[in-house]
Amino acid sequence: MENLLHVGKNVPRTAEIDKVTGHAVYIDEYKRPGMLYGKILYSQYAHARIKSINTEKAKKLPGVRAVITGYDIPDVRVGFLGDQTVLKRDIVRQFRDEVAAVAAITPEIAEDALKLIEVEYEPLPAIFDPIEAMKPDAALVHETDARGRPLRSNILPLPWKFSAGDVDKAREESTYVVKHDVTTPWINQCCMGTSGCVAEFDSNNNLTYCAQTNVIFGAKQRIATYLRNIGLKGKKIRVLNPVVGGSFGTKLDTDIYEFICIQLALKTRKPVKIRFTREEEFAALPPRQASRFTIEQGCDKEGKLTFRKVDAILDNGAYTSWGATTPSVMMLPISSMYRVPNVSFQATCVYTNNIYSQAMRGYGNPQAAFAVETSMDLLAEKAGIDPAEFRLINRNHPGDVTPMGLKITTCPLEECINTVKEKIKWDEKRGKKNGRGVGMASLIHVAGGARVYLSDGTGIRIKVNEDGEVDVLSGSTDQGQGSPTVIAQIIAEATGFRPEDVNIVFGDTALGLWDAGTHASRHTFVAGNAAVRAGELIKRQILELAVQHIPKLVKRSLKQQQKKNPDFVPPELDYTLIDSPDKLELKDRMIYPREAPDHPYFKTEVGKILTSGLHVGVGESKAVAAEVFWDPPTQMLNAEMKGNYSCTYAFGTAGVEVEVDKQTGEVKILKLVSAHDVGRAINPTLVKGQIYGAAYIGIGYGLTERVQVVDGKVVNANFRDYKILTANDNIPVEAVIIEDPDPAGPYGAKGIGEPGLVPTAPAIANAIYDAVGVWIKDLPITPEKVLAALKAQGQ
Amino acid sequence: MKAYDYHKPHTVKEAIDIMGGLENAKYIAGGTDVMVLLRQGKINPANLVSLRNVAEISRIDTQNGIRIGAGVTHTQIANNEFIREHYSALADGAGVVGSKQIRNVATIGGNICNAAPSADTACPLLVLDAEAVIAGKSGERQVPVDDFIVGPSQVALEKGELVTGFVIPAFGDRTGSAYIKHARRLAMDLPILGIAVRATVKIGGAQAACRDAFKLTDVSDIVKRLEAEGLVLEDVRVAMSVVAPRPVRARKAEEAAKGKTISEKVLEELGEIAASESKPRDSFRGEAWYRRDMVKVLTKRALLKSIERMTGASSMVAPSRLW
Repeated sequence: MENLLHVGKNVPRTAEIDKVTGHAVYIDEYKRPGMLYGKILYSQYAHARIKSINTEKAKKLPGVRAVITGYDIPDVRVGFLGDQTVLKRDIVRQFRDEVAAVAAITPEIAEDALKLIEVEYEPLPAIFDPIEAMKPDAALVHETDARGRPLRSNILPLPWKFSAGDVDKAREESTYVVKHDVTTPWINQCCMGTSGCVAEFDSNNNLTYCAQTNVIFGAKQRIATYLRNIGLKGKKIRVLNPVVGGSFGTKLDTDIYEFICIQLALKTRKPVKIRFTREEEFAALPPRQASRFTIEQGCDKEGKLTFRKVDAILDNGAYTSWGATTPSVMMLPISSMYRVPNVSFQATCVYTNNIYSQAMRGYGNPQAAFAVETSMDLLAEKAGIDPAEFRLINRNHPGDVTPMGLKITTCPLEECINTVKEKIKWDEKRGKKNGRGVGMASLIHVAGGARVYLSDGTGIRIKVNEDGEVDVLSGSTDQGQGSPTVIAQIIAEATGFRPEDVNIVFGDTALGLWDAGTHASRHTFVAGNAAVRAGELIKRQILELAVQHIPKLVKRSLKQQQKKNPDFVPPELDYTLIDSPDKLELKDRMIYPREAPDHPYFKTEVGKILTSGLHVGVGESKAVAAEVFWDPPTQMLNAEMKGNYSCTYAFGTAGVEVEVDKQTGEVKILKLVSAHDVGRAINPTLVKGQIYGAAYIGIGYGLTERVQVVDGKVVNANFRDYKILTANDNIPVEAVIIEDPDPAGPYGAKGIGEPGLVPTAPAIANAIYDAVGVWIKDLPITPEKVLAALKAQGQ
Repeated sequence: MKAYDYHKPHTVKEAIDIMGGLENAKYIAGGTDVMVLLRQGKINPANLVSLRNVAEISRIDTQNGIRIGAGVTHTQIANNEFIREHYSALADGAGVVGSKQIRNVATIGGNICNAAPSADTACPLLVLDAEAVIAGKSGERQVPVDDFIVGPSQVALEKGELVTGFVIPAFGDRTGSAYIKHARRLAMDLPILGIAVRATVKIGGAQAACRDAFKLTDVSDIVKRLEAEGLVLEDVRVAMSVVAPRPVRARKAEEAAKGKTISEKVLEELGEIAASESKPRDSFRGEAWYRRDMVKVLTKRALLKSIERMTGASSMVAPSRLW
């Protein structure tokens, strides 16, 4: 595996120069002839009965082409539990409920038309606290389920219950036990590009749908189901990606605005674009869900973990998107972070009249890790053990099978912890309680795909043109993370071409093979594995061609030289050096005999072979192309929430040094070290980019970010009041790449998209405790909370 | 956002004339507030009268104190050596508005005329006894900034009138000032609280000893040293933002500090009284109790910062150095 030419190199992202020069076609720039602009009218109430909707005035506004309400479109349910309709016509259950929509010739006219729609509501009592909503006599957010059967409770019928070993017995036998509660807020994904799509039907009602989804085949499937349910059966659907400005979880589900866009396109027979304003992005796009955890952990007198018991309550909001499935990933740290034999976990998702939630980078792991990693420090303190040492005692080892059934393959967690200890000067700085302190936290995450659908596969097609250009049709998507560069490096390595030869087309259901989606930190791993396999097939085909064509080319050249110069004596060449593809190698565009890499006659530029192979002239010409569909050998979670759902797992540790201003409660991060197990870094610069970006989002999660929802309404729906960190908040982050190539990874690589943000917030909370002796278990850790805690302690 | 006509006068007179002849018109300078309001649909002017090309309001004149044109940008103010040295609080305030990109175009005239309760240059101008220079059809008049700012988005301008600049007196070399913005991040943020202080002091002992006091790391040691050197607070100004509908002076605190020799007790009182004069409210941006607490803390810090600067210990050290 050594002597890699392209993997492991900091290949620049030249394919993306269009982005920085403004030429890239994002959804904003994507235009179709005659295209209209759609806008959505949202509810005025968190819970109300719609008494009437009058769209007459809006319809008369010049430039308006369509105004639709729930009465104008089939009453079809959508979403993962089918608990909502596209436009709501009887009851609104949250402020972002879509009540009507307009298509007009400009976005401004569409916006004006919304103001002319008159909706009369009868307010209903609303419920915003999930604890209240769980009570038996609580008012119901939904009277019936998707099939019209009456519901008796706001608790969702989801099976999030896990048990391994005997927690009660283990608690009895534990020397030290700690128990505490944590809460985490809603977090907006803050993509640079806001949501949007363009829907366009042809005369046969076939749909071309340009969308930012990072699950193009999943989206196609959901839209097909929707079209079928509204009476458009058997229509062809092509899903295309524009250039996407970030996903971070938002492009996983098909959102309501997308169905609205499709309805407006159907109604107007024109292409229709919907693009969110930033305010809509905050108020009408599902965020990472808010959660409450109660966590109890115990250890024996040597500091070995004995049990872990976690109960989570997730505010589901009024409807259900992927947020409700994040317990499947919360399972990761809860069951498998450190060696813990007895585990119990239960997550309850509760309907409220709040905004509903979906995926965000980490998919439940950041919330659960905050619970687990703060509990680790509490327990370490109770047991009188240094928190770093406590983590080392309990660390995972290669070859472990965790209570959840995860098979740990490579695991350099020990190195991650020790690296952080050393770089943050742990032993020197810890335990001073002088306003400065250090803290750490670790993580485990899927890093070898994640079998959340029955297939976790991905397909890749490669064709090589006669000039030696390598066209790749990927079934995956790129949302800006650098996959065109990373996949090009992998393909260049596997095929023997150069990264700059590789041209990748992402995000088109008409061209690519099926893919489960660019999510779960899976793209480099899964698409990379498909790329290596397809690349090897391509290389084999070329070498087979070379066996036929090198002798031909060499002999022809010798003949020509003889013709030119009658005195030329052709050399005696050993053609057995190249009589089998196994005896040839292709690297850096050159084909040569393995036995004589610098052979003056046989070493041939690959383009010559491709041209020669294509232009045979006797009905035997050959084009080079290959495709591979690769599905990792993993398991779905079973009914007990057990199963090895990823090929491999990534570990990592974040260490933070903070300074706390005891008079203002402000926390300043002096240093953050984030050491991550990445298997092998295909492109170290891009890996570090992932770690830096994730660490920043993790710091925001720890200290500043929250979607503030007051009585169901988002009150900070802009970047002034939503405190994501800026370029000015230049926190010194040191990203450390720990390499331990994983046998299952492409050239040993593991996924690194999500891990960076997971341990950051708990590391900060732990460092604050070390600095000033107060525990803030409620994110974000605002100066108010720190100061209030200090005051309560009499400091 | 609606269409509007855009006018580009080159002189103050021309601007006032154009404005006089228009209905539903608004001045625009840097545009960093006007464009936001336009986009949000909170204002819908048919005409915008741009002050970008009016050269006479874009100057800084340093004779007899200072006169800063209303069209001077925050970046120009924050980078101006004379302002940094003699009117440090204003350089502090101008240097923390919005972001670098915003400071490069946003003007001080705009920051004051927008009259946000959180305006970062308002408190500095209040403690520096600044007056707004107002031009109108009938000539020029000067109004103390304290009277000029009336309430949220309200200033004492008659129709057609235009702020052309701000005049600030000279304070001599026994005066220092500072502004501290308390916000959650370092750019694109409104203050949860802003505090400006100006202090004119008299030193019984040696100025050099006072300067050296700031080499100490413990704040109470610094104050004790200053006290030992007989540092008297001759004249103090305190202004606070976001604790009332408009930035306000803490006059009782100012009065109480006057003539006192510095001590931890005096500092404590100054903070307490200023806090008692603040009327912060709970909002989703910050809690009242916390803002009131921060008035206490930051008033003390801004006062010490002012003294530190006066002694020449350092002209622009980040406030966090001391704590």
